[in-house]
Amino acid sequence: MTGVHVLGIGMTRFGRHPDKDAADLGSAAFQEAVADAGIDPRLIEAAYCGHVFQGMVTGQRILAQVGLAGIPLSNVENACSSGATAIREASLAIRAEEHDVVVAVGTEHLTTKFRGALTPDPSDPEAAVGATMPGVYAMRARRYMEEFGMTRRQLAMVAVKNKRNAAANPLAHFRDEITIEDVLESRPIADPLRLLDCSPVTDGAAAVVLVSDRAATKLGDGRTIRLAASTLFTGSVEVEPTTMTFEPLTQKTAQAAYERAGIGPEDVDFAEVHDCFSIAEVLRVEGLGLFEQGTYPGAVERGEADIGGRLPINPSGGLLGKGHPLGGTGVAQVVELVRQLRGEAGDRQIEGVKVGLAHCRGGKAVGIEGAACTVQVLVK
Amino acid sequence: MTTAQPEMAPKSFRPVEFEVTDNGEGFLLGSHCGNCGAHFYPVRVACSGCLHNDLETVRFSTTATLYTFSVVRQSTPEFEVPYALGYVDLPEGVRVMAQLTGRPPEDYEIGMEMELVVQPFGTDEDGNEKTGFRFRPKEGSQ
Repeated sequence: MTGVHVLGIGMTRFGRHPDKDAADLGSAAFQEAVADAGIDPRLIEAAYCGHVFQGMVTGQRILAQVGLAGIPLSNVENACSSGATAIREASLAIRAEEHDVVVAVGTEHLTTKFRGALTPDPSDPEAAVGATMPGVYAMRARRYMEEFGMTRRQLAMVAVKNKRNAAANPLAHFRDEITIEDVLESRPIADPLRLLDCSPVTDGAAAVVLVSDRAATKLGDGRTIRLAASTLFTGSVEVEPTTMTFEPLTQKTAQAAYERAGIGPEDVDFAEVHDCFSIAEVLRVEGLGLFEQGTYPGAVERGEADIGGRLPINPSGGLLGKGHPLGGTGVAQVVELVRQLRGEAGDRQIEGVKVGLAHCRGGKAVGIEGAACTVQVLVK
Repeated sequence: MTTAQPEMAPKSFRPVEFEVTDNGEGFLLGSHCGNCGAHFYPVRVACSGCLHNDLETVRFSTTATLYTFSVVRQSTPEFEVPYALGYVDLPEGVRVMAQLTGRPPEDYEIGMEMELVVQPFGTDEDGNEKTGFRFRPKEGSQ
């Protein structure tokens, strides 16, 4: 079976794009990825497009704009894991040896689709009683604080760190550093979470060109980064209520990825994780096995997750700092991993990295721990 | 022409998950597996424990323990903020999200003993009041 490699990456600026739509953004990222790959666009055999709220056949509208309509394309929706799922589907098409060169693109024009708090689908019983995503994560934060003694200031430090990283990322939605006090004094959204604990409503897109072993040899020029694992699981229905301060779904998805990549969590040099809320980063890294359960808030306080720290988390700025255009998010994480592994991350470059991990987790449905979880492992 | 309607108890806001009886009592509904004994909320087609299909729809207990909660201060237009939102654990071993009532929204504690109360909960498309549920601290709960 062939391996899968990232040959090209592209990403728009994340933020507000009032003069563009999701297909415009997706097209820009698509073309940049193809240019970065340095290949003739006619070599692209298939594409996958991840988005959530952009309507029917968004991916085909992108292909039409970039002159490639005619190739197979599937649009995939997996809530906040949509873009990451597009990468997984593209990687499977290559591993199955159906295609050698495949593009995965993720896009979202969220500012025209959403204001305020994201909620589960209106059909869901929890949406019917007033569930909001900030509310759900706030409840998890309160429980975590009760069980592990995390302080409100420690939680704020996650947002401060990610905004600091975003300030060094020219494509990030937010470019200003913030203080702990800024977080604690920002508008309350769902106690104990405040506005600066929440990822913003963002427009943006990202794309990657994935290739097989033989295409990497032929086209790669030695610059490819290996996608050593791309795993996806859905949350299980709970037969008994389980803890909400640990993520068995994240753990399961990560373990499958570690096994496929032939590594363990101790081999990971840095990670981009799904910090849709400050508390989410805590839950993700502990579920991934990168930090022991209950220890991450202290580790952040000691700077261990900073660029230059023991295990940098979200060097791009994460969802909190870079922004969270749902479909674009999972692809943008892989773009960051590739930039770091190539040594092209500029002011936020982590020195000497060889193994990067990206984690997405999206969607809320009653009675299951989480809807869709993905882990990607990239190896230089 | 309009026909006079007999006076009826307000309808459940979610009849599949919440039953309102003729005398105004309310029960959360779920599934009980006749094979392995597991309970599920809401009603399921097959058991996620043992995959049997012989699930019976049952009424759940109206008492619960508060697992965690938040005060939601930004929501969708149909919900007036702020409101207290919690997860409560029922004796059957299921966890249910519910709004909390009976105290100021900040004034709940993890581990409180709670009970279900039947309350007005929104309106239908014609403006008729619907009936839903919230959980409140049991009398004497700290």
